[in-house]
Amino acid sequence: MISATDLRLTFGKGTPLENPALRGMSLTVNQGEFVTVIGSNGAGKSTFLNALAGEVLVDSGQIIVDNLDVTRLPTHKRSARVARVFQDPLAGTCENLSIEENLALAIKRGQRRGLTTAVKKQYLEKFRDSLSSLNLGLEDRLGDKMGLLSGGQRQAVSLLMASLTPSSILLLDEHTAALDPKTASFVLELTTNIIEEQKLTALMVTHSMKQALEVGSRTVMLHQGQVVFDIAGKDREGLEVKDLLGLFENNAAWKWTTTAYCLVNPGLL
Amino acid sequence: MLSEIAFYGALETGLIYGLVAFGIYLSFRVLDFPDLTVDGSFPLGAAVAAVLILQGWNPWLATGCAALAGMAAGAVTAILNVKLNILNLLASILTMIALYSINLRIMGVPNIALLTEETVLTPWYDMGMEFHQVPVLLFLIVVVVSLILLWRFMKSETGLAMRATGANARMARAQGIATGGMVILGVALSNGLVGLAGALFAQSQGAADVTMGVGVIVIGLASLIGGEAVLTPSTVLRALIACVIGAIMYRLAIAFALNADALGLKAQDLNLITAVLVTLAIVLPGVRTNLTNRFTRNKA
Repeated sequence: MISATDLRLTFGKGTPLENPALRGMSLTVNQGEFVTVIGSNGAGKSTFLNALAGEVLVDSGQIIVDNLDVTRLPTHKRSARVARVFQDPLAGTCENLSIEENLALAIKRGQRRGLTTAVKKQYLEKFRDSLSSLNLGLEDRLGDKMGLLSGGQRQAVSLLMASLTPSSILLLDEHTAALDPKTASFVLELTTNIIEEQKLTALMVTHSMKQALEVGSRTVMLHQGQVVFDIAGKDREGLEVKDLLGLFENNAAWKWTTTAYCLVNPGLL
Repeated sequence: MLSEIAFYGALETGLIYGLVAFGIYLSFRVLDFPDLTVDGSFPLGAAVAAVLILQGWNPWLATGCAALAGMAAGAVTAILNVKLNILNLLASILTMIALYSINLRIMGVPNIALLTEETVLTPWYDMGMEFHQVPVLLFLIVVVVSLILLWRFMKSETGLAMRATGANARMARAQGIATGGMVILGVALSNGLVGLAGALFAQSQGAADVTMGVGVIVIGLASLIGGEAVLTPSTVLRALIACVIGAIMYRLAIAFALNADALGLKAQDLNLITAVLVTLAIVLPGVRTNLTNRFTRNKA
């Protein structure tokens, strides 16, 4: 279980560019839940994910991952519990290393690394098995440099890497946003399959309201560094984008942001 | 033409600079950390080895201590960068400057002669080999052993973590790698190799001098870049072999340039030749691709 309580974080404190990114953000994610997170630009989605991963430390508040207070821990000390796929397909893998070396890095996520050979023979079968589930033919290219793969292939491998070892939560930061529509839907399908198969707890930031409602078991909307909308279970079933917009009818500000957002991104409806 | 002694001399120094090139490969290529500490850690290694040998230490033990001293210098640079957030290049310049004073302190005098002392080479001379071949053979063994150890390390879990740190630090952190620690370990290892090279250089030249570090970084870079131009560094092993090839090529080129009477070059032109060679090594691969591009475009 992940619980974030009253997270506050301001960038550039005391400067003219002061920017409060998180303003009392609280969210609890239960074991096995797949939460989709939406919100306009600057709502604090990425900052929230970075705060959970440890890339930024919050000014105040508390983050607990499976009964461990990780609020003050740096990224690498949380990594045993927190797995992550980045938005940029190039960010999640090392292009100068081979596919098997990237996977060997991931199989030791959050564990001690010694002086034994990194790419062990006993790993190779596991690597081939997981790669063949992608149906991209990568299982025969273990020695190839990661840089030879396309963005979609690299993102698929990033996803495999994140799920190679158990984690308390999988963070997906708009991981399909930089891909073409066809590849994006392939990676999204792969995501839901992996999460379902391994019964992972996941948090997925997305720019598409449609995607946010179609995938996962719960949807959360952020605005100005807070959760403004949280829907799951029966209430969420059959909910469409227009209903989501309708929910904000009474609030002029909400209506404005969400409508404006959809006008800017009509393709995402 | 090159005399036999000049040829072996070039091989000898080339092999020593091969160790320097390993160090520079670690910092510049693996960690993407432009480290100029080497200009200080090379004479540091020489100073430590020379002083300990003068005090009657076993020369191999003295050489080992020189490598450790180099590691300490590298660790200081990396800690200035990682813990105190000083820009990596500046951090290395600070250590390099500080080392000049430290080296003088260690030696007490600007120059220590080792000609009459027992060095790592002494027992080999007694084995009845040609005088100028001994250092080449011994340093070849040292370089090959270092190359194999370094190669194995790069293939290990920790070595792979170090390569990931230099290639993509954010990804490395997400995989649970303490990137700061990796930078400290890597830069320390790099300067340890350079300290080892300095110690061997002092013993083969018969003296340690505070000024012997000037330009080591450029020579090391020249070897690295030259080697990469000859042997594409597609794997770690190839990259390491390229370092040695580059260093030997560089020393041979210098020896040829100085020995070719027609060119009229003298020993004092060494640094100028180095600068020209480095420039050529950096520019030539680009020129080659440009020419190829033009050629293929014309064809199409």
